[in-house]
Amino acid sequence: MDFKRFLDSKEFVLLDGAMGTLIQKSGVNYESVPETLNITHPKLIESFHKAYADAGSDIVYSNTFGANAYKLKDSGYSVEQIIKSGISNAKNAVKGTDCLVALDIGPIGQLLEPAGSLSFDDAYEYFKEQIIAGNDADVIVFETMTDLYELKAAVLAAKENSSKPVIATMTFERNGRTFTGVSPAAQAVTLSGLGVDALGVNCSLGPDELEGVVSEISKYTDLPIVIKANAGLPDPNSNEYDILPDKFADCVLSLLKYGVKIIGGCCGTTPEYIKEIKKVLEHEHYQPQKKSVDTTVCSASTSVEINSPRIIGERINPTGKKLFKQALVDNNIDYILTQALSQTGAGAEILDVNVGHPEIDEKKMMVRVIKAIQSVCDAPLQIDSTKPDVLEAGLRYYNGKPIVNSVNGEEKSLSEVLPLVKKYGASVVGLTLDENGIPKTAEGRFEIAKRIVERAEKLGIDRRDVYIDCLTLTVSAEQDACRETLKALRRVKTELGCKTCLGVSNISFGLPNRELVNSTFLTMALEEGLDLPIINPNAEVMTGAVRAYRVLSGTDKNSLEFISAYGNAVKPAVKENTEVDIFTAVYNGLKSEGASITEKLLESTDAMQIVNEMLIPALDRVGDDFEKNKIFLPQLIQSANAAQECFEVIKKHISKTSGSPVSRGKIILATVKGDIHDIGKNIVKVLLDNYGYTVVDLGRDVDPQLIVDTAVEQNIKMIGLSALMTTTLKSMEDTIKLIRERKELQNPDGTSKCVVFVGGAVLTKDYAMKIGADYYCKDAKESVDTAKAVLG
Amino acid sequence: MIQLEKLNRNEAVRYLGGSGISLNYRMDRLMDECESKILESASPKYLYIEKDIKDFDLWQGKDIKNHLAGCEKVIVMCATVGAEVDRLIRINQISDMAKAVVLDSFASVAVEQVCSKFDDVIAEKYKGYYQTFRFSPGYGDYPIELQKSIISMLDAPRKIGLTVNENCLLIPTKSVTAVMGLSSNPIERKKRGCAICNMRDRCKFRRNGEHCGL
Repeated sequence: MDFKRFLDSKEFVLLDGAMGTLIQKSGVNYESVPETLNITHPKLIESFHKAYADAGSDIVYSNTFGANAYKLKDSGYSVEQIIKSGISNAKNAVKGTDCLVALDIGPIGQLLEPAGSLSFDDAYEYFKEQIIAGNDADVIVFETMTDLYELKAAVLAAKENSSKPVIATMTFERNGRTFTGVSPAAQAVTLSGLGVDALGVNCSLGPDELEGVVSEISKYTDLPIVIKANAGLPDPNSNEYDILPDKFADCVLSLLKYGVKIIGGCCGTTPEYIKEIKKVLEHEHYQPQKKSVDTTVCSASTSVEINSPRIIGERINPTGKKLFKQALVDNNIDYILTQALSQTGAGAEILDVNVGHPEIDEKKMMVRVIKAIQSVCDAPLQIDSTKPDVLEAGLRYYNGKPIVNSVNGEEKSLSEVLPLVKKYGASVVGLTLDENGIPKTAEGRFEIAKRIVERAEKLGIDRRDVYIDCLTLTVSAEQDACRETLKALRRVKTELGCKTCLGVSNISFGLPNRELVNSTFLTMALEEGLDLPIINPNAEVMTGAVRAYRVLSGTDKNSLEFISAYGNAVKPAVKENTEVDIFTAVYNGLKSEGASITEKLLESTDAMQIVNEMLIPALDRVGDDFEKNKIFLPQLIQSANAAQECFEVIKKHISKTSGSPVSRGKIILATVKGDIHDIGKNIVKVLLDNYGYTVVDLGRDVDPQLIVDTAVEQNIKMIGLSALMTTTLKSMEDTIKLIRERKELQNPDGTSKCVVFVGGAVLTKDYAMKIGADYYCKDAKESVDTAKAVLG
Repeated sequence: MIQLEKLNRNEAVRYLGGSGISLNYRMDRLMDECESKILESASPKYLYIEKDIKDFDLWQGKDIKNHLAGCEKVIVMCATVGAEVDRLIRINQISDMAKAVVLDSFASVAVEQVCSKFDDVIAEKYKGYYQTFRFSPGYGDYPIELQKSIISMLDAPRKIGLTVNENCLLIPTKSVTAVMGLSSNPIERKKRGCAICNMRDRCKFRRNGEHCGL
């Protein structure tokens, strides 16, 4: 069916009202979930659909909202049975009319990672099953969604397993966000990119309270907008809703100016409401709206409109960074997350993510890192790789609309990368180089840019989503190249109407005082029309140049952003010359003091002497005081962090003077499968780190197999497991069993080579022994004692 | 809707095992900061339904029978401080672990305060009734699995964004499900001991076989 033609043939498209309300009013009883009525009471359900079709609905939703494998588990029916009967009831009801039947799909009912434990792939499989079962429907509808990530899995499942049109609506709260924090802008930008046919709002609030959300959505999309509001609020006693059909219809009228075309009702609405809406729409016209914002990228909660220079942070990239490479090899995701947070803290609005390194599986790492970053950081991401399969993996698991870095003028690149950009609805960086390298002249680069833009448009990618990079060359090698880059940039901007981006730091390679050259070049480029400087935001002068440029070019209205960045900056107080020793610094958790004292000490004292005679005793004293209840948990952790700073200084010093740093041994830490409470495990990690152990942190909800494999691969003899719930103790037991069974982790006589220590809320010493652990640690301090006893 | 204006700092310190410790200036500042961050990011919500005792069907184990003995009505409830709080704690686990544990503690205090305000809402609405304390799945022999039944009975995922996973973990994590009895006759005041303390799982005292005395 050509849905676009269907939409165009009608001024407005009427949906139905609530199914649940009619079921409730009828007083019919059902087992487990209302969708079972499709099979037990098909005629009744059919009559509800018919009532809506008679009232004027152009599309009715099948009674399949909760018909997924998770919710139907105890119903005695399969997804296929419920959905096929649901569609067939609706089809019977509308027989002989042009009313369409939509396969209605609601949320799975479990929260996805990172907040919950359901994986993106599992969510996809749930939806896929429903979509295949609903093959007889005319349209696929996803509604009442609160998590953009879940909705993305749903839309991909629809697009990859059917060719039906897709309508997607989400539910917003009075604060203009969904329960999981999704903004209307992010919804509109992401779903438009993924190629849905219409999008909007359902459930949530009454139509009288939706103006804010609907107007916001309409700014960010050209698609027809859907509203399917509740009939106001239910009275807690009578369960009657407070907005009656005539008022409901009036509210709908007031929203038409935002491009609303597809209209129905949610909780509390009945065929009366649909009749009333039909009546008032008779003399109205659809008022299509073009999006009013510039090209925008987003995460699930934050959108960044590229309407003034926006900083892309370049630090998540192993090139030339020893520590970063090591972090990749060690799977040290926390290190990368720290890089992410420090860049956004410094002013980056978008983060480039590159994890290419020959010793690791780049594709797996890209997915892991993207999932981890989006769990703690709101900034939209730029997925950076030379490999299309890595780009695709990143695009798939990204929650929002990202930027792809990059495509170039080579045929191979164009034909491999652009289709991915289109499919996942991203923006893309276009590098002005091709088979023949980087053209020397601005003219040459402009021609390549033009070619990239043309190819993108052929695939249906908006040229405003192509960000052209005219490439920075090293000025000390080719002095004229700088001018050519800027000339090309200006032409791309004015003649092609594209946004531009530029990696800046290359310009100064081989020169002294690089920052000065970089920031001057950056200012020149901004004046030529650079939109997306890719820089190190932690370099104050670079970020400052962008902020100042926004003021001087008039985009930072009333200098508000500038003032908020610098207005309160107090000059760092002159350090009081208080003589703090390393013990005091660690004991009181003074990080920077600890580091500077350590540096000073290293001039005159042997590194290991500092560790053994100062740091460890200080930590031991902290540990003792913690046990004696003289200090409490946050202080213990702050001391550990201060000690960490000292250790870092020492590690650097040792690696400079004698090579490899010393580790007291490797330890695996993991929160067991099914459990997502990991704060306890993370406290243990901080302490073990600080006593000089190398912690391999596998995270939370960890598969037993991964733990065992990691122990084997990295030859690790000590494993710490944590579980907080009685329900997940079973997985702890299973994990220990698997560790004991694995041949490589056994001594020749069959005893275990691995020492397992366990901890967590509901554990007791007896229970720990019963499930086969070697040690039970009641808190982080005891974990350290155990490590000392085992590894020394 | 419930608004939180202030969080009980003594409780937060107690959850952190700091009762009796005098906080230094730095700790004091950290507590202030974390309290206001939790207040900013909390979005307290609750749901409940009232059932006649004869329609109540979540009877499993002995303890719930004891708990509701003599009651005519049962209130089945859930409450949460929302997903943003979880996110805040998660972020701080990367950037500042000490702050993360303090935030976590205040978040526990926050959900407890939401519940206690909820008790007031019920007391106001059911004047003339005496109420039992809130009894949650997981207390005594009351199976934790009933969290699932309560969440689905209240339509909590759709109405307030509160879900439960396969292992009966509530998500957002700073959330509560519970059952409360109402009786027109005075209820024997049961001791609010460890069984209903939300620190019972990680209490230092309990682990050492002691009691905090509250």
